[in-house]
Amino acid sequence: MPTFDLPAFLKEFLYDPKNPLLFNNGFFVFFFAAFIFLYYAFRNNIRTRRYIFCAFSLYFFYKASGLFVGLVIVSAIVDFFLSNAIYRQRNKGKRTALLVLSVLFNLGMLFYFKYTNFFIAVSNEMFHATFNPMNILLPVGISFYTFENLSYTIDVYRDELKPATKFSDYLLFLSFFPKLVMGPIVRAHDFLPQINEPYKITETDFAKGFFLIISGMFKKLVISDYLTLNYVNYIFDDPGRYTGLENLFAVYCYAAVIYCDFSGYSDVALGIARWLGFNIPVNFLSPYQSKNITEFWRRWHISLSSWLRDYLYIPIGGNRKGSVATYLFSALFFVGVFFSSRYLFSLSYIISGAITFGMLVLFLLPALIKKDKAGIPAGMNLLTTMLLGGFWHGASWNFIIWGALHGIALTVHKIWMLLTGKALAKVNNRWWYNAIAIIITFHFVCFCWIFFKASDLHAGMVMIKQILYDFKPSVWNAFFNNYKPVLGMLLLAGLLHAIPDSLADRVIGRFKRVPLIAYIVIFFAFVVVYGYFKSAEQVLPIYLQF
Amino acid sequence: MNSNFRVRNFVLISVALYLVLSLIAGYFNWPDLRRVNLVANVFTSGNPDSTGIAATSDTTAPIVIQKIASKDFNLYKRANLITSFNSDTTKPSLYSFVQKLHELKSGKKRKIRIGYFGDSMIEGDLLSQTLRKLMQGEFGGAGVGFVPVSTPNAGSRATVIHTFSNGWEDENFKENSRKDNLYLSGHTFHGNDDWFRVKDQTVKDSSAIIEKSLLCGTSGNAVTVMVDGTSQTIHPVGIFNRIPLRNDVSTAIKIAINDESLPVYGVSFESASGIIVDNFTFRGITGVEYNKIDSNFLKAVAEGNPYDLIIFQYGVNLMFRPNDMNFNWYAKIALPAIKKLKAAFPQADFLMTSTADRAFNYGGEYKSAVGIDTLIKVQASLAYETGSIFYNHFETMGGHDAIVRWAAATPSLANKDYVHPNARGADILGHYLFEAIMKDYHKLNHTK
Repeated sequence: MPTFDLPAFLKEFLYDPKNPLLFNNGFFVFFFAAFIFLYYAFRNNIRTRRYIFCAFSLYFFYKASGLFVGLVIVSAIVDFFLSNAIYRQRNKGKRTALLVLSVLFNLGMLFYFKYTNFFIAVSNEMFHATFNPMNILLPVGISFYTFENLSYTIDVYRDELKPATKFSDYLLFLSFFPKLVMGPIVRAHDFLPQINEPYKITETDFAKGFFLIISGMFKKLVISDYLTLNYVNYIFDDPGRYTGLENLFAVYCYAAVIYCDFSGYSDVALGIARWLGFNIPVNFLSPYQSKNITEFWRRWHISLSSWLRDYLYIPIGGNRKGSVATYLFSALFFVGVFFSSRYLFSLSYIISGAITFGMLVLFLLPALIKKDKAGIPAGMNLLTTMLLGGFWHGASWNFIIWGALHGIALTVHKIWMLLTGKALAKVNNRWWYNAIAIIITFHFVCFCWIFFKASDLHAGMVMIKQILYDFKPSVWNAFFNNYKPVLGMLLLAGLLHAIPDSLADRVIGRFKRVPLIAYIVIFFAFVVVYGYFKSAEQVLPIYLQF
Repeated sequence: MNSNFRVRNFVLISVALYLVLSLIAGYFNWPDLRRVNLVANVFTSGNPDSTGIAATSDTTAPIVIQKIASKDFNLYKRANLITSFNSDTTKPSLYSFVQKLHELKSGKKRKIRIGYFGDSMIEGDLLSQTLRKLMQGEFGGAGVGFVPVSTPNAGSRATVIHTFSNGWEDENFKENSRKDNLYLSGHTFHGNDDWFRVKDQTVKDSSAIIEKSLLCGTSGNAVTVMVDGTSQTIHPVGIFNRIPLRNDVSTAIKIAINDESLPVYGVSFESASGIIVDNFTFRGITGVEYNKIDSNFLKAVAEGNPYDLIIFQYGVNLMFRPNDMNFNWYAKIALPAIKKLKAAFPQADFLMTSTADRAFNYGGEYKSAVGIDTLIKVQASLAYETGSIFYNHFETMGGHDAIVRWAAATPSLANKDYVHPNARGADILGHYLFEAIMKDYHKLNHTK
């Protein structure tokens, strides 16, 4: 007979590095129940409710990342005081100095934890030095909350936002637990005014929140986890062992995985927020339905791309002028193109030079076509934004390459529009034109994911080589028979993604008031499905060539 | 109307229900629900096997282990040890092989040939490349040894630059419509205006003389081959032929053949003296395939390539289902294959290695295959029965769940298929094997 293990029970309350808190831990179920119970009990006592919320959020942080919770508290304190100081200070120079202090503090922290080892490795290679990498762990969520801090102090500096007057308001904004690990990046002006509102939600809010939570969990815990473990991981680990067909499907599956993972997490965060009376702007809008790459960036990780637009692209000059940063990073890019052509791909100096020159022309073309001088810095600003945006995703060359590819594609799209906009005006709304455009855009995005996911540049190149030169369509039958469950899951992801975004809203709007029992049945159905796939027999690789 | 109470009601009712169901499931030990059981972590089950893994293990050895006073079968469980099961572990186990190493070390000019047979674990020259580098570094010798006409995944082999035309017809263990004699690599090729080029990347001494030989069967006639653009007539008359084409400092050779009737195996890069390590990898096999090769052909191969050590490393492909516990069927079919190879290469010491670790997902957690201990015992008893020598990769790499730790390490040492150590991991396995061989070698001094 099972016996209760008291020490194990008590240990559950402490941070366990092997098992950090996530939405799918059993512990989260109890955590959330206790939280909802208290939140509801004190719903009319705004101050106590806020303190409870802060305490639970910080505790969630602790269970997810241990003592790094201290970083959130410290950065909340620093930014709370700096923002208020900026707000009170009327002297422009001093205001700017305070802002610079805040930017240095936040970026410095992000830089130290996320990028130190990358730059140690780069300088070791460039100067043949032998600095040892440091033992730095990446604190959970740091990329998200430093960006939230930055947008907050910058908004205050721009006089667009009145800073929070209560420290606990600001602390809650920063540590709000549903968005902790993977965002979305919430803006203070959206969030702060909602904190001290009466706890009031409609029947639609309840239904929509439920839908977001369950569908988000399904995307993340069923589809994404299943495809990752049963296919994507082992193909990306050693692409050379597999045929081009298997590699191509690994790329498709990864496209599904990253979308389901990221948007699933966002949906859960949005759903929980909705249940607590908060509205957070949507973060993903069926991005693979985009007809071009510019549209893709309006639908993919919207909270990040709009952040980059408002706090990076526009400050460095936007589509009007350039700045030091613009030309610094653009110059680095062109130097990088030259050296990677020469040394990574072993091309001759002349060809490397030609490629670099071609890139330069590409980024100048929109300005040349429009005969508009401002177009030059606009192109370079876009490039800089995409390079740094790529780098934000992780400290490795892969992400820089990924960002650069997207930057190049955005420019190519701009040129395409300038050249063909009028000529194709008649056809570019036809369904077949859109279908082709969606397929091309999707495949380009997939191509970029190879670099995003591959363990290093070499592995990415092997993968591309396998797809191009070792495709072997003859293995289809064996492939299909072995990977049926994987392909089924991929198809399901595709179908879910194909459903129009407004459908859920329309369906939910139609029902008046569904009895609670129906929600409970759906929830337990989800638990059973989740449990089934969690322990389903693995799909093992087969080796299709001898 | 404010529906906030519905959130509270839903959450509290669902969680209470969930908790009750979890307690009931935990009480009755329903293994299928463990992954979603809310209280799984805080209740220790009364049943020792709570993982849901069937415990009907077949632990009887398939082959009756004859108890011999001077032998200790259980030595197979030791890590870092090459064993002939001799109870006295101070004596070398690779008895004649280490004698030959000693001769080489004492200055005698001679070739020592190692054939490394294996499955996808050694694909891309993994493991064997480390062993070759370390052995050649210790005892001398140069050259990458055997390279087949073509391979899947040729780009990932770091020890050669290998290119070939697409027209080669490939007869192999899986498909052999011509009923060819298959070479030790499991392949035989036929070329019709086809070529292959191999550049040996292992030779560091630019003055080393490397003999480059074509390994082929016979078509009964003289054959004209193009060697680096020059035509050369060869006379492959034996059922197995080793035909030296060039003997100079160059480390690359391009061979073109326009005679479909000639069975071609590959090319070998060898110095005149020292250690030569041939890699014979074939994906997905278990070693029993060698029983299909004709004995007379094997004997002819042994005359052309007198091996001094054969390493026989299989097993991972026997664990293709997570819950298999019985491998007796393998013992029955592997025994004749091993006996055949041993008989064909009488002058070679025959070293069988265990499989390395392989893990499966058991209810959401990766663990070593439940049958791995049984399989290794079967492999060891095959070695014991055939008078072969045994080395335990599994224990040496860390025993149970080692592959899971290797895949999780930073940087990773194994792929997330939980089967294949990657290049870094295979390099470690290669070092371990080399150290075990050296330990055996140094026992020679104690004996004398």
